[in-house]
Amino acid sequence: MSFVYWTKIIPPLEILILWFVFYRILVFFEGTRSFQVLKGITVLIVAFLVSQLAGLDTLNWLLQKFFAISIIALLIIFQQELRTGLARLGQQHLFNIALEESEIMAIVDEIASAVYKMQKNKVGCLIAMEREVKLKTYIESGIPIDGKVTSEILQCIFMPHSPLHDGGVITRAERVVAASCLFPLSENPSFSKIIGTRHRAALGLTEQTDAIVIMVSEETGEISVAADGRFIPIVNRERLINILKNLLVKQGKKGK
Amino acid sequence: MKSWISHNLGLKLVALILAIITWFYVHGELLNK
Repeated sequence: MSFVYWTKIIPPLEILILWFVFYRILVFFEGTRSFQVLKGITVLIVAFLVSQLAGLDTLNWLLQKFFAISIIALLIIFQQELRTGLARLGQQHLFNIALEESEIMAIVDEIASAVYKMQKNKVGCLIAMEREVKLKTYIESGIPIDGKVTSEILQCIFMPHSPLHDGGVITRAERVVAASCLFPLSENPSFSKIIGTRHRAALGLTEQTDAIVIMVSEETGEISVAADGRFIPIVNRERLINILKNLLVKQGKKGK
Repeated sequence: MKSWISHNLGLKLVALILAIITWFYVHGELLNK
């Protein structure tokens, strides 16, 4: 291929690659506390470019020095995100590989049934469904169970005087792996003041992993699903089943 | 295709602006060398 051809095709190609990288970074940070830090950094970068174009040498020199020393600060600020990002890069598509859609639906049905019975009795619950990112650290913080996912076992675990009712349950495929697990609390400023500890724990886990968390509020009996650091409102049982099915079946197909 | 473009449009535009600025900046720096 000729030199002229390459000089024409390479700049748009490079811009396209850069666009993709920037877009993925923005999507990764969207909705987290670091997104605000990222916005601040973008403003500084724009200020740096403007100062260079306008010939503001003093400002440009200061910003240059600031960027040089801020590398370490950025590593500290984005420590959590870097860890999560690297974990997701190395993740394997293991979950659901062995499960057919009908098996996933059976699990979802059991969970929905348990959740609605607990809502009726105003019993709080926190159920995390593991997907691709392994929840080993959180499983180790709880009590091992290794039982089949059934509505009855979930209700037993969350009964108010049960020794296992504090903390969350973690399921892997069709097994309840552990109960009484401790989840990381979300520090997302847009939620932290208006939600309780159980919701913060649900959000925290979904911010750091790709797990799906289903919870029932003890106070209001309200059912919520959290995924990717966001809450999905649940209005009825069909919606709950549909959301879980979409999140899990899609994931299973991606993994195959 | 249409829904893919309109989904997260704001972020896509910001990413595009950043990509163009970065490319021109780095390209300019490389030409200066």
